[in-house]
Amino acid sequence: MTKLAIGLVAITLPLAAAAQVESYNIDPIHTIPYWETDHLGFATMRGHFNKISGKFTIDRAAKTGTLEVTIQTASLNTGDTDRGARSRTRDEHLRSPDFFNASEFPTMTYRATSLTFADDKPDVIEGNLTLLGVTRPVSLKIERWRCGPDPRTAGKRYQCGGNATGSFKRSDFGMKFGLPTAIGDEVRLWTSFYGFRSQ
Amino acid sequence: MSNPAVQVGVGPLMAALVVAFVVALILRPLQLGGLAVAAAFLTTMYFVSGLGFSPLTATRKIIIVSIAAPVVGMLIDFAFKPTRMGAVVLALCAAASALWVFWPVLAQKPAAEGWLLGASMVVVIFFVVGFSQLYLAADAVRAGAAGLGLGLATGIAAILSASVTYGLYGIALGAGAGGFLLPQMISGKKGFAGATFTLSATLTGGLVAAGAMVLAKLPWYALLVLALVPVGARLPAVEKTPLWLQAVLLSLYCFAVGAAACALAWAQGRNFDLGFMSLQL
Repeated sequence: MTKLAIGLVAITLPLAAAAQVESYNIDPIHTIPYWETDHLGFATMRGHFNKISGKFTIDRAAKTGTLEVTIQTASLNTGDTDRGARSRTRDEHLRSPDFFNASEFPTMTYRATSLTFADDKPDVIEGNLTLLGVTRPVSLKIERWRCGPDPRTAGKRYQCGGNATGSFKRSDFGMKFGLPTAIGDEVRLWTSFYGFRSQ
Repeated sequence: MSNPAVQVGVGPLMAALVVAFVVALILRPLQLGGLAVAAAFLTTMYFVSGLGFSPLTATRKIIIVSIAAPVVGMLIDFAFKPTRMGAVVLALCAAASALWVFWPVLAQKPAAEGWLLGASMVVVIFFVVGFSQLYLAADAVRAGAAGLGLGLATGIAAILSASVTYGLYGIALGAGAGGFLLPQMISGKKGFAGATFTLSATLTGGLVAAGAMVLAKLPWYALLVLALVPVGARLPAVEKTPLWLQAVLLSLYCFAVGAAACALAWAQGRNFDLGFMSLQL
């Protein structure tokens, strides 16, 4: 009888724990990763990526979670898409081997390795960014976080959304064009994000 | 050292000149002047992107090929008598090396685009290496002019095709070929090119041009025109004129062909109203 009880507990405990884990699919429309860097020491240039996919999980009781994001590098956009009299646009240049080398590395990925909470909200994501075939640790600070029913679906869909920031040195990933003076080494990230709960 | 003029101009030219003069003055019997172009290319590679090999990207594979090319060239020059069949085999091996460099990138592209770019690349590498080995290797001035024209044209075309980095690599090859030509122009004596020079200049130059096509925006038809640059070095030059003038004339021929390729690179994606028809490149 005791063995049976232990067996039942052993079976049900993981199931109870699994029930606490919420899974979300990234909303590609409202998740927009922006980046900015110094340009010629005069101004700050900004751009963003249009195509992103991924998913995250969160276990509020255990205060843990996971995150996997994939960004299509060729989807970058700095607003310069018309060549005019020039031989190429800034976006074409950014897709070339000088920067994102989008033909050879069509995606960049971010995978969380740990998630820390402040009170009951996720606060800092530690993870690995893979860019140009190089993987380096990058942390993201969650500046805004809220979960609740999506008002656009009359509450039928549950979502979490917010903003996160981070930074990295592009030279760490072998992106060296324009260093040290023309184009800044530090790339600052700012992203809005939404996730729709799938289970 | 971070100044582009040093990275792509002074640096590689000085490296090429040092190698060319050392070979000419000290190692002349070994006929290794062709190493000048490899020295120039690797100097710029060191400044611009470093000489690491991880991750093994297409650019880093080009570094490996650019190191292997003069080694294979020396082996050929010392061990084999130049033959037509030998040139064909060498060209086939060069084309295979291009596939090794770019296959992972081509495989990610849509099938039609991948085949078009891959076929263009293989044809161009096969032609420039085979042609140079057959018709230029025995004449160091013609070979030097071809290397100068191919390097500079590739560099400018790459810059017009959105990759300044590949542009720097191409211009460095041109500077290296210039460093190979200059001692000959000053001394008035022809050096030795052989496979050591032609393989270093044309295979590496072809790979840089192919990289500008596969990784950036160089159109495939501009790459085909770039392949004709070494043909310019076969055009008639007055043999009895001073050697420096021959070098200048042959280089101008190559520049003219290269300019056509650069014009195509610049014109890519533009509309041209020819009066009787509208043409989009």
